[in-house]
Amino acid sequence: MQEFLQHTLNGLSFGSIYALVALGYTMVYGILSMINFAHSEIYMMGAFAAFYLARFLGLDTPSPMNFTIGLLGGTLIAGIIGFFVEKFAYKPLRNSPKMNVLITAIGVSILFQFGGQIIFGADPKRFPNLIEDQTLFTVIDIQVHLIDVLIYFVSFVSLAVLSFVIYHTQTGRAMRAVSTRPDMTPLMGINNSKIVSTTFMIGSMLAGVAAVLVSIKYPKIDPMMGVKIGTSSFVAAVFGGIGSLHGAVVGGFLLGLGEYYVNGYGGSTYKEAVSFAILILILLYKPTGLFGSTRKEKI
Amino acid sequence: MKKYLGFLVSVVVLGFALSQFTNSYIQAIFISFLVNAIMALSLNFITGLADQFSLGHAGLMAIGAYTAAVFNKEFMGDNWVMIPVGVLFAAIVAAIAGYLISLPSFRLKGDYLAIVTLGMSEIVRVVLLNWDHVGGPRGYNAIQKFPDFYLSFGFGIFLLTVTFMVMYRLKFSWFGRNLWAINEDDIAAEVMGLNVPQTKRRAFVISSFFAGLGGGFYAHHLGYISPGSFTFLISVQILIAAVLGGLGSLSGSIIAALILTFLPEALRSLPTGVDIRMIIFPILLILMMILRPQGIMGRKELSLSAIIGRLKR
Repeated sequence: MQEFLQHTLNGLSFGSIYALVALGYTMVYGILSMINFAHSEIYMMGAFAAFYLARFLGLDTPSPMNFTIGLLGGTLIAGIIGFFVEKFAYKPLRNSPKMNVLITAIGVSILFQFGGQIIFGADPKRFPNLIEDQTLFTVIDIQVHLIDVLIYFVSFVSLAVLSFVIYHTQTGRAMRAVSTRPDMTPLMGINNSKIVSTTFMIGSMLAGVAAVLVSIKYPKIDPMMGVKIGTSSFVAAVFGGIGSLHGAVVGGFLLGLGEYYVNGYGGSTYKEAVSFAILILILLYKPTGLFGSTRKEKI
Repeated sequence: MKKYLGFLVSVVVLGFALSQFTNSYIQAIFISFLVNAIMALSLNFITGLADQFSLGHAGLMAIGAYTAAVFNKEFMGDNWVMIPVGVLFAAIVAAIAGYLISLPSFRLKGDYLAIVTLGMSEIVRVVLLNWDHVGGPRGYNAIQKFPDFYLSFGFGIFLLTVTFMVMYRLKFSWFGRNLWAINEDDIAAEVMGLNVPQTKRRAFVISSFFAGLGGGFYAHHLGYISPGSFTFLISVQILIAAVLGGLGSLSGSIIAALILTFLPEALRSLPTGVDIRMIIFPILLILMMILRPQGIMGRKELSLSAIIGRLKR
């Protein structure tokens, strides 16, 4: 029982990370119908941005202030990188076939992975200790760590902000409009390309938040760190129904829990295959995912 | 007949030149070019002709490679004479695997197919990683090799020729036209009475067969395989060769495989410490997609008579 609760707690904490990253995938898919393979690399860049920011500013003592600076810095830089990736790699291909965009996304992803190995070095780096991890309280022999609580809290705040932006602002309304009828929105005075850029930035910032949180919990970062989490989050996005924001969050939590249970009760060597197996099963039985809508293709 | 004789003579001359005037390093690179070309052709058949995006060719290659290696060692008495039988068997196994993958996959469209094939290839890799009988993460060792360069070269050229000729004939057959129709507009193709899912499945099985062929030859060329030799990056390298040569152009794939095999070797001396290919390839890929999305050859085939005709003019 105690073990089960511990796995649940960890699963939820990782699930909220998956939810944040999956939102990036699902938002970009919703608006451009492309799988942004480079999203996991933007996540990686967010962690490295926070790492170098902390080193540059000399933030090596744990304090709430340093934590906030690192988090905001990583988030912001990840957003800027996302903006430039969209501008230089995807924008020139706005009207080309979908396959070309997908191939470009794979190219960008690999370029970041291996370019990162040249620039940052391939060896893992130790992420600075931005906040002192301590056990806050113990319930039925389960230790609740400060960092887990922070992960819940920050993810919750990010989700709330995102939900506000998307459902209660003009930009959010425009984003929803572009994802439904991109051919009509220019007639309504919406600048599609600006909205797409904004979407990329928001998605990348969420990845940045997730990256800094994970790096504080597991302080080892390397240029290939995005691959694993990117795959799982993508699966989460498809699980929830790609293009659906609620779906991404629910899918993220479910996948986080599922992975921790599989991992906790044996079968850790097959961990990598688990998320793909889940994905294939979902696609076979319910290709639209939990909350996805079926869009009929018209001729 | 004259055409085939000319081809045969040029192959013999090439083999002789490679064995006499180059060292074993260049020879080994040439053999890996043959493997890359077979893999690029295999992917081009499904992605270029039928427009079905597969990211799982490394998985099919792994199935072919492991089958050929294990089959040769355990059932054929560890003998190099039996390599061709094993490679053929490996191709058949890969084709069956491809058929199983294709059963559910072609209910899905576009991006999802890429994801499913990618997932399948990762699952194959993880299963191999956990399968102790074939070495697990240590890999499979001491696979029979051909005793000398001539045999290896001859067999490789034979496989590449067969692959190319089969695909070339298929490309301009009714089957190729069907694939072309699906590529242009699968809804219209369906309206014209074409069984679209079945045609896609057949194309995928043919592609898998040749991927297995390439994988089996790869195992016997290197003599050592491990799950690490068949990662996602290998799928991407195959994809890059197919895209660079031109999706839909079979001769383009061979040209691209030639460039992509020899270019990185020329750059090997650069002091970066990282696989420099993985910097050049993605940049090439992105620029290609932006500047010349149709690849080197587009959909055209290289034809000697057309080149001579243009020179005469």
